[in-house]
Amino acid sequence: MTEQRRKVERGEGEYNLMSLKILKAEDRFIKFSIDGITPTIANALRRTLLDDIPKLAIDKVIFHHGQIRDREGNVYDSSLPLFDEIVAHRLSLVPLVSDPKMNFREECACEGKGCPLCTMSYSINKIGPAVVTSGDLQPMGNPDLTPADPDIPIVKLGPKQAILVTGEAIMGRGKTHTKWQATSGVFYKYHREFVVTKSELENWTSVKEKCPLSVISEDSKTIRFTDDDGCKAVRQLLDYPSVKVIEDDTQFIFQFETDGSYKAIDVLEYALKRLPQRLNTLLESLTTPD
Amino acid sequence: MIIPVRCFSCGKVVASDYVKFSDRIKDIRSNGREPTPEEISSTLDDLNVHRYCCRRMILSHTDLIDEVLPFS
Repeated sequence: MTEQRRKVERGEGEYNLMSLKILKAEDRFIKFSIDGITPTIANALRRTLLDDIPKLAIDKVIFHHGQIRDREGNVYDSSLPLFDEIVAHRLSLVPLVSDPKMNFREECACEGKGCPLCTMSYSINKIGPAVVTSGDLQPMGNPDLTPADPDIPIVKLGPKQAILVTGEAIMGRGKTHTKWQATSGVFYKYHREFVVTKSELENWTSVKEKCPLSVISEDSKTIRFTDDDGCKAVRQLLDYPSVKVIEDDTQFIFQFETDGSYKAIDVLEYALKRLPQRLNTLLESLTTPD
Repeated sequence: MIIPVRCFSCGKVVASDYVKFSDRIKDIRSNGREPTPEEISSTLDDLNVHRYCCRRMILSHTDLIDEVLPFS
């Protein structure tokens, strides 16, 4: 197997035009290819997607301690089978549908005191025996900002136990804490081509049958496959030394999923806008020596 | 104790998938047999839990919260 890599061929100050093609888009998953960038930019985009997307997460939880009464006057105890710290931590990790227009608390007009522009409150009021799930989080304020996943178990309540808590959610970025991480599984790989000389390998017909969409071009002597779409049968071509593999380090196949706080396409759009801002921060912090 | 909300390694929410996963395994067990490795694998694939970091979160978890419930 001869492995070749096509390098970015360009002169000084000359750049290829970048183009982006979406291969698969679902609400919480996206796969796309970017052409005309370098591995450095691809990795910068990956890191932006992982840790630089602002989203809501619960940052402060207030527990009611003592007796809790229901409407009929039955008395419940507020002690839980898990420590309050663990419950607060679990609440913080719940993905919340977020509004990208909300302010960061330190940049807000309220000067960090907390106002509806930068803070979102949630409450849970439940009596046992029951399993408290993320769906029990009631948004107070904007009713659209609900938990993205209502089935996450938070804590279990025994008989005569109850929970009464309020939580404050603020905007943050994944680099501060995982609870503000909107995406997971952000991967990229090079675009890869398998050049098969038909006379040297008879196997190509079965690969073509199994993965018809993976064929890039075909003539009487050679056939070219790609494994961009992840069709598994193409990978068996790696076992044959006569197959020439070309990896292209200017074209990248990206994929990632979101936790439901945003649509995947919105996250991508934000990340592409955010990337030049990040680079400008570096540029602005550079000072020329006197 | 109770299933972690997110995968330790990649940050994907796995707690809600664990509930669905254990329900399906209970279904199979109610037929009087243990699930085969292939069934477990395809159940996880159905739930979109593809990476092995998230799979180990679900597979290696023991739910012990019911054991500590009487002592709180």
